[in-house]
Amino acid sequence: MTFLHAAFLAGSLAIAVPIILHLIMRKQPKHLEFPALRFIKLRESANRRQVRFRHWLLLALRCAVILLLALALARPSIVASGMLGDQEAPVAAALVFDVNPRMQYRENNQTRLEVAQETGEWLLSQLPRESDVAVIDSRSATAVFAVDPGAARQRIERLDDRGMSQPLSVAIESAVELLETSEKERKELYIFTDLSRASWSTEATRGLADKLAAQTGVGVYVVDVGVRDPQNFGLGETRLSGEVVSSSAPLSIQCDVLHVGQGGQRSVELLLTDPKTGQPEVRGRQTVDLAAGSSERVDFQLRGLTAGVHQGQLRLVEEDALAPDNQHWFTVEVRPAWRVLLAAPVDEQRSAEDYALFMAEALAPYAMRVKREAPFDVEVIDVDTLSAKDLAPYGAVCLIDPTPLAPPVWQKLQAFVAGGGGLGIFLGQNASPVQSFNDPVAQQLLPGRLLRQFRAGGDVYLAPDDYQHPVLSKFAGLEVAWPQLPVFRHWQLDKLAEGATTVIPFSNNQPALIDRPVGRGRVMTLTTSISDPASRPSERDYVPWNLLPTGDDQFPFYLLANTLARYLVGSDQQQLNYIAGTPAVVRLDADNRQPMYLLTTPRGDQLRTPPSDGGELLVVTTTDSPGNYAIAAGGGDEQVRLGFSANLPSSISDLTRASEADLQAAFGPAPFRLAHNRDEIDRSISAGRVGQELFPYIIVFLVLILAGEQVLANRFYQDYNTAPEQSRAAQLAKSADASGAKTKSTPPPIPVQAK
Amino acid sequence: MPAVEQYLKPEVIRQISRLDLRAQFIVKGFLQGLHASPFHGFSVEFSEHRKYTQGDDPKDIDWLVYAKTDKYYVKKFEAETNITGYLVMDLSRSMAYTYRQQLSKFDYSICLAAALCYLMIHQQDPVGLITFDERIRQSLPPRSKRTQLGNVLSLLANLQPSGKTDIAKSLVQIAAMLKHRSLVMLFSDLFAEPESVIAALRRLRHGGHDVILFHVLDEAEVRFPFDGMIEFEEPESHEKLAIDAGSFRADYLEEMQSFCEMYRRECFQNGIDYVQIDTSMQFDRALTEYLVSRRGRS
Repeated sequence: MTFLHAAFLAGSLAIAVPIILHLIMRKQPKHLEFPALRFIKLRESANRRQVRFRHWLLLALRCAVILLLALALARPSIVASGMLGDQEAPVAAALVFDVNPRMQYRENNQTRLEVAQETGEWLLSQLPRESDVAVIDSRSATAVFAVDPGAARQRIERLDDRGMSQPLSVAIESAVELLETSEKERKELYIFTDLSRASWSTEATRGLADKLAAQTGVGVYVVDVGVRDPQNFGLGETRLSGEVVSSSAPLSIQCDVLHVGQGGQRSVELLLTDPKTGQPEVRGRQTVDLAAGSSERVDFQLRGLTAGVHQGQLRLVEEDALAPDNQHWFTVEVRPAWRVLLAAPVDEQRSAEDYALFMAEALAPYAMRVKREAPFDVEVIDVDTLSAKDLAPYGAVCLIDPTPLAPPVWQKLQAFVAGGGGLGIFLGQNASPVQSFNDPVAQQLLPGRLLRQFRAGGDVYLAPDDYQHPVLSKFAGLEVAWPQLPVFRHWQLDKLAEGATTVIPFSNNQPALIDRPVGRGRVMTLTTSISDPASRPSERDYVPWNLLPTGDDQFPFYLLANTLARYLVGSDQQQLNYIAGTPAVVRLDADNRQPMYLLTTPRGDQLRTPPSDGGELLVVTTTDSPGNYAIAAGGGDEQVRLGFSANLPSSISDLTRASEADLQAAFGPAPFRLAHNRDEIDRSISAGRVGQELFPYIIVFLVLILAGEQVLANRFYQDYNTAPEQSRAAQLAKSADASGAKTKSTPPPIPVQAK
Repeated sequence: MPAVEQYLKPEVIRQISRLDLRAQFIVKGFLQGLHASPFHGFSVEFSEHRKYTQGDDPKDIDWLVYAKTDKYYVKKFEAETNITGYLVMDLSRSMAYTYRQQLSKFDYSICLAAALCYLMIHQQDPVGLITFDERIRQSLPPRSKRTQLGNVLSLLANLQPSGKTDIAKSLVQIAAMLKHRSLVMLFSDLFAEPESVIAALRRLRHGGHDVILFHVLDEAEVRFPFDGMIEFEEPESHEKLAIDAGSFRADYLEEMQSFCEMYRRECFQNGIDYVQIDTSMQFDRALTEYLVSRRGRS
């Protein structure tokens, strides 16, 4: 509690007056004769106690009146932030602006940011002179005090909400840290926000409460510039069939159309930038009908894309209040089908093609092969010819049920993998004797020493437990009946090599699929065969190693083979679509390296960027603006055309407003004031600086006590000579004088008979 | 007679005449409004005849009627036709009390006494006067002459209520003094120990006297119209007490009410007429009401 005029508190010493009057200068009671005193005496003692109590009560009331009067004159107030001093004393103020893209929501021809800017500028003009002002936006979260109000005003005018911003709490925390450094007595923090839940959720504001709790004395004002009932349609996350796709396979683009508020019909257009002209062309259009509270998915297929980097965008045709979530950019790299070499043994009964049949068909099914749509270009060779084969053109090599290999072959494979190739080893019955595989050279690729073949009665199957690995990511959400695809035999491995991880275990917890990165490439080892037919008419007791490729449901095998091959060829290594604000890493062609690259941002800025990491990578950190980024270098045959896309997260479409409870959770015990317009800001600031004025409440209380004192005092010390008493006496007299009046008008007869 | 000469002094006459007027006014109201004397049971010559029934005292049989009709008729109330009235006035200091400084309890009592005195004399019933404080002070023997009213009033007008009182002792003295069954009309505020007073009243009643107790109180004693801190002084004992009157009213009125109620109850049980009046009442109306109710009972 603070006092505006603390000197008036000294007035409370005046309570001595009634106390002295009570104790020393007691009023002498009026003296009256009264014959019926005996009745009074009967009740005297009880009454005397009552009288004494009332006197003390009266004294207490009178003291209370004086105290309250002194208190009221001192103008006490409860100050939430514990600030002190004069309201016009300079303050240290930090104005934090939420500049997330939701602030572009337009209402009454003003975006939220424009409203915030306007209010912020007004607030600047309201701050006391000589105040330290810092303007902080949630994108940079850089907190410094502006040199003068003009600089602060300019900073507000230049706020930009087009890019991705950091969580608001980061900006708030840096603002609080800045305020800590100020020597001004009063510190005020203004947060301009649209109050969307995405900005104020528990995750987004974690740690903020502790920060504020540690810094007491900062008045926190949340200025809400959001709209109460937002109406918006937006595009959710765009899903591509792949970021690096084969030219022979179609490109699938899926996207959810989301909305907040009332439903309606919306059209989504797919635009693809023509690599030659650089102009976007409409390549598809779909219309969705959205009921309130639902979302719809659009699905586009693009075929016949030429090799190279393609950029495009999905966009909502109709405009709405929030523009940034109406479009989504994407970049794909189209390249020729990956060449995969399948090396399989040859024996009396089966050719290499027989051994590799399941894998080859999975990667390049016949139906696709004939149409030239298969994503992989598969070549099958005898494993014995591997030593003579040039592996460089291949993205991946798969050893299908390999027989023991000579150390030079292992060395060759090791070199291939280390150089960035992918090696798949699918162990089977031919992997014995195991000495070749346990040879140190082979062990540089294999994930562990082979111990023995494990035989199971049909109760062992693949049992993936999580889907984090890229190979399994497509299985997430897919309900595969793995027990229906039993594994009857598999190789048991000794301890796994360093760096090797089990991607899929068997149900008996033995490793089934193991990933081992080697150099720049990787080795995936499956410990059970993928080349056994379901039955062999010539062998009565034949039991295949498993039913993965030959069971009732062959789709899991097909999918696993494809994802495995994609992983091995490294199609997932090239990320082309990023969330705005995160650094983008572009892999450069090892054969065509340029000393400098020209980066064109969505805003049209062109930046010269040198490659890093030995010329292999181009790291772009300025990805704040959503859109397509183009990278170009060289000319003629050496021309390089690359690119990537940056998109805003789909959470920017979430315009759900944070509740008061969310704010309280964010700020924790630290007090804050929420204001929606200038009047409320004004009131909040006054209340925050001066505090909640108690004057009116004290005055009301004072009046009540004064009235009570008057009533009691009147009852106790009523004087007989006061007007009410006289009137009462006159009233009494009136009734008795009725006969007396007649006396005067009638001549008195004399009843006494004189003698 | 020195007393009469004293009454004939102009100021005495003025006083008497004023009192007499009040009495006359009441009685006239009675005569005109009720068409009968309210003193039905006091001393009329003849009330009614009724047939003799077993149990009646044979001496009540009216010989004259028997002679004429040869039937036994009892002559009712023949023995009560003449009754002697005594006006008994309390002369204590407290009777002089008046809150409004207009009509003290004593003045009020004189008014009542004058009215009753006039009525009785008007019916040729003898009326006497006894005043007392700690003992009997004055006594005027009963007479039924018209001059008696003047005598009574001139005596009363000259009295000044002062000093202490002993109602019980005085009543005992009166009981011993009265030889015949009389109508005793006692005017007092009864500010004394009630047990002894009641015992004395009981004794008076036991002596065969008809007792009317006029309990005269000041309006302030009945209503307690005081507020604020007041030091009260008892006029007889000069005892003082400072209290907060406003907060005391309820307690006081409760005590006063229970005091009056106790007298009312005791009087009823002993066949005494208890008439509680205060000085704010118009005494003619109060008296009328009493007399009407008394006639209704008789």
